[in-house]
Amino acid sequence: MAAPLLDVQDLRTVFATKEGVVKAVDGVSFHLDAGETLGIVGESGCGKSVTAMSIMRLQRPGRVTGGKVLFKGRDLIQASEQEMREIRGKEISMIFQDPMTSFNPVFRTGWQVAEPLVLHKGLNRMKAMAEAVGLLGRVGIPAPAARARDYPHQFSGGMRQRAMIAMGLTTAPSVLIADEPTTALDVTIQAQILDLLRHVNKEFGTATILITHNLGVVAGMCERVMVMYAGKVVESGPTTDVFAHPKHPYTWSLLRSIPRLDDELHEPLRAIEGLPPSLVELPGGCAFHPRCSFMVDRCTKDIPSLNPVGETQLAACWVTQSGTELAHG
Amino acid sequence: MDMPGGAFEGESHRPAQSYWNESWERLRANRIGVAAGVLLLVFALIALAAPLFSQFVTHFDPTRQHLLDNFRPPGRPYLLGTDELGRDTLTRLIYGGRVTLGVAFLTVALSLSLGSTVGLLAGYYGGWLDDVLMRIVDVFLAIPAIFLFILMSILFRPNAITLAAIIASVGWGGVARLVRGEVLSVKQRDFILAARTIGARDVRVIFRHLLPNVLPVLIVAASLGVGQIILIEAALDFLGLGIQPPTPSWGNMLTNAESYFFHSTWLVVFPGITIFLTVLASNIFGNAVRDAFDPRLK
Amino acid sequence: MLVKFIVRRLFASVVVVLGVTAVTLFLMDRTRGAYVPGIDLNPALRPEDIARLRADLGLDQPFYVWYVNWLWNVMHGDFGRSMIDGSPVMTHILERLPNTLELTLTAVLIGIVLSVPLGVIGALRRGTKTDHSLTIFSVAGFAVPQFWLGLMLILIFSVTFEHNGWPWLPSGGVTSPFGGGDLGDRLLHLIMPATVLSFFYLSLWSRFTRSSMLEVLSQDYIRTARAKGMSERRVVYLHGLRNALIPLVTLIGLELPGLVSGGLVVEVVFSWPGLGRLAFERALQYDYTTVMGVVFFTTLLVVAGNLLADILYAILDPRIRYA
Repeated sequence: MAAPLLDVQDLRTVFATKEGVVKAVDGVSFHLDAGETLGIVGESGCGKSVTAMSIMRLQRPGRVTGGKVLFKGRDLIQASEQEMREIRGKEISMIFQDPMTSFNPVFRTGWQVAEPLVLHKGLNRMKAMAEAVGLLGRVGIPAPAARARDYPHQFSGGMRQRAMIAMGLTTAPSVLIADEPTTALDVTIQAQILDLLRHVNKEFGTATILITHNLGVVAGMCERVMVMYAGKVVESGPTTDVFAHPKHPYTWSLLRSIPRLDDELHEPLRAIEGLPPSLVELPGGCAFHPRCSFMVDRCTKDIPSLNPVGETQLAACWVTQSGTELAHG
Repeated sequence: MDMPGGAFEGESHRPAQSYWNESWERLRANRIGVAAGVLLLVFALIALAAPLFSQFVTHFDPTRQHLLDNFRPPGRPYLLGTDELGRDTLTRLIYGGRVTLGVAFLTVALSLSLGSTVGLLAGYYGGWLDDVLMRIVDVFLAIPAIFLFILMSILFRPNAITLAAIIASVGWGGVARLVRGEVLSVKQRDFILAARTIGARDVRVIFRHLLPNVLPVLIVAASLGVGQIILIEAALDFLGLGIQPPTPSWGNMLTNAESYFFHSTWLVVFPGITIFLTVLASNIFGNAVRDAFDPRLK
Repeated sequence: MLVKFIVRRLFASVVVVLGVTAVTLFLMDRTRGAYVPGIDLNPALRPEDIARLRADLGLDQPFYVWYVNWLWNVMHGDFGRSMIDGSPVMTHILERLPNTLELTLTAVLIGIVLSVPLGVIGALRRGTKTDHSLTIFSVAGFAVPQFWLGLMLILIFSVTFEHNGWPWLPSGGVTSPFGGGDLGDRLLHLIMPATVLSFFYLSLWSRFTRSSMLEVLSQDYIRTARAKGMSERRVVYLHGLRNALIPLVTLIGLELPGLVSGGLVVEVVFSWPGLGRLAFERALQYDYTTVMGVVFFTTLLVVAGNLLADILYAILDPRIRYA
């Protein structure tokens, strides 16, 4: 089996705050193969964005305190800042949630899309702009030559996000990390952007990590999915398998909480009880246990490790690891 | 990391605090600001008790000349030295503080009263009253302040009170604009509409409802402005357009500095440092007040 | 409609100017009854001469007549004549204006050139000793009385240096009487007063640049820039500073109307022959007409400057036209 393109092993990132040390990423491991799409799902504050930023070594003011991030065999955590700059925007690109604030308001859009080419491929301004225009066209922006001369505030939300995606692809990176690319957009535009990302993945062969809190987005886009809670990975596996038979109570509850058209009228919505824990004061044992319907005694004492459950999935749960099936409880 | 702490039963509940209490707490927590405020208070108290100081501490009268003892350097019995007419510097500084601080606070009071009244009326009633009042404000704001001061100083021989009025005549415009802006935004809020719906008369609405909400802005403006006013007052006195000798003020103690500053440098240094420390303290305190009452500006 | 906006603002400006004239002239009116022009030059004037001089200057007429006459003259560029020697006020103004502008513009320039680097350094080294020292410096700079600073600088760099035989800076005037008036000489005279004047700007603008820079550096597009793999220098100076300077430009613009009057105290301390000092000297001699002329002239500049700025903003930002 070929080595994965990106291999994250036991990554740990912490933030020092007034209230205490926050373990934003607490032993996260996963891999990404060339050309595949991986979804990272979780609530706000579960550590998915910080994981991505840590891979790029942009996690300041946080600190990476442990683990490895092997990219094409090289550990990025040990790399120098100089070496990281060769990788950022060139081999691993990242695009962000809000395209309005993520573009610099005083520079023309086309130039911002072309900038990575100038930085990393040494192209002169004219050539870089020409390529940028071409790329803008390929992501579906009409009249790209004219639009390239516009400023970001002159674009509509959807067009801006397309431009942002173009900006992430100019150097034909091996990995594209998309942090909540559709959250700031209207629902109808969301679908278009997802289509675009899918298309990009097929045509360019770029491995994509899609970070989102929306299960629907994952279902449509990602081959594999990874669920995070309180800084840890609680479940991972092929999307179809995880969605069909989730092996962690959190995933199970998330999927159940989505209302379905064939539900009985007047049935109460199945929300997950309780609130996510404070990352400064985590509960002992499994972080999810206070809200878990399947909890047993061991859950309050030992932190579960991520182990295979079933044929294709990994889950960090004592209950499912011991063979119990998750069903209506 | 902003995680909701969990509002389960049995959790301790922070007592409700009014805006004023909260602001006061914030102010108290700012140690440097409090220190500056205390320093100001000490200066003010010393200035107020000037005659006592003169009698019991320095044993000198501020205007009494000891011509044989002129230009004495700091030492006994003249703790900070004497000036060209043999008058004790320390005593003059203390009395000068009376004048300067007195004028400064009076100016702030006048400027705030006039400015906020105009601002409240203009903002609340709008329409032609607003236009007229704001045009008047524009007129006063358009004339370069220092020129207006000069003009007024030579026309009305200033004593402490008229000097305050003169300086306030320029400052009130800024206050009026500020208050008017604040009124315009507060006016939109529902509680004003509610008060009027239950039939509250205009005067009541303005003073009972609008004013308390506009007060923070006023407090901030006042505390930030005191320092500048002290500097202006000192400059006017220095130029000879303000408080006239023999009444001492920090500014007029420096009027003739060029003639003696080489051989009696302390005469220039002490008043200057006093002004500097006072303005510094009021600026720092003013900043602390601003941070306490309007933290979003931070 | 842009035109309607301009007309409205123009009208408001005219009203303001008229208001200013009314205020200043009203103040002046208080005194003209008592004043005897030329008394300083010739204390032994005979009553007939006094009457004639007063009639010449229109001092014996009712206020409104005097006011209208004055307005009429002003509209023809005649800002009156000095009460002391009868010389036209406008001449003095035009003579002194360049000197004032030379001083204040230099101060603004020094302010800009030093504030930006200091502000950027403060922002980049936030929380360190350097930052704290810079903050203390700017807080202190606000509290120093200008005239005192000027005096102290003269004391040190002119008097003490000269006394010790070191090369010293001139303490007053624009050029040395025997210096030849060349550029170097002018610059020597300009250093101290311009530095004192720039102190205030420096304190204000360096703090402002710092906070503007800090705000910009926390924006999302800075994160994007870093993610594109560029050097931190490029992130800060190309992507960051461009944005941080915009509000600073606005702030500097606000100071421009004050350029003609702001230097008065410095002009007096350093004997700088500018408009401010003209007004001051003439005021002490009770030359009301000259003082009034200067005040009115500078106010005109201020109002015109504000009007221009408003129109410029309206052109740049269409939303303002409906305000």
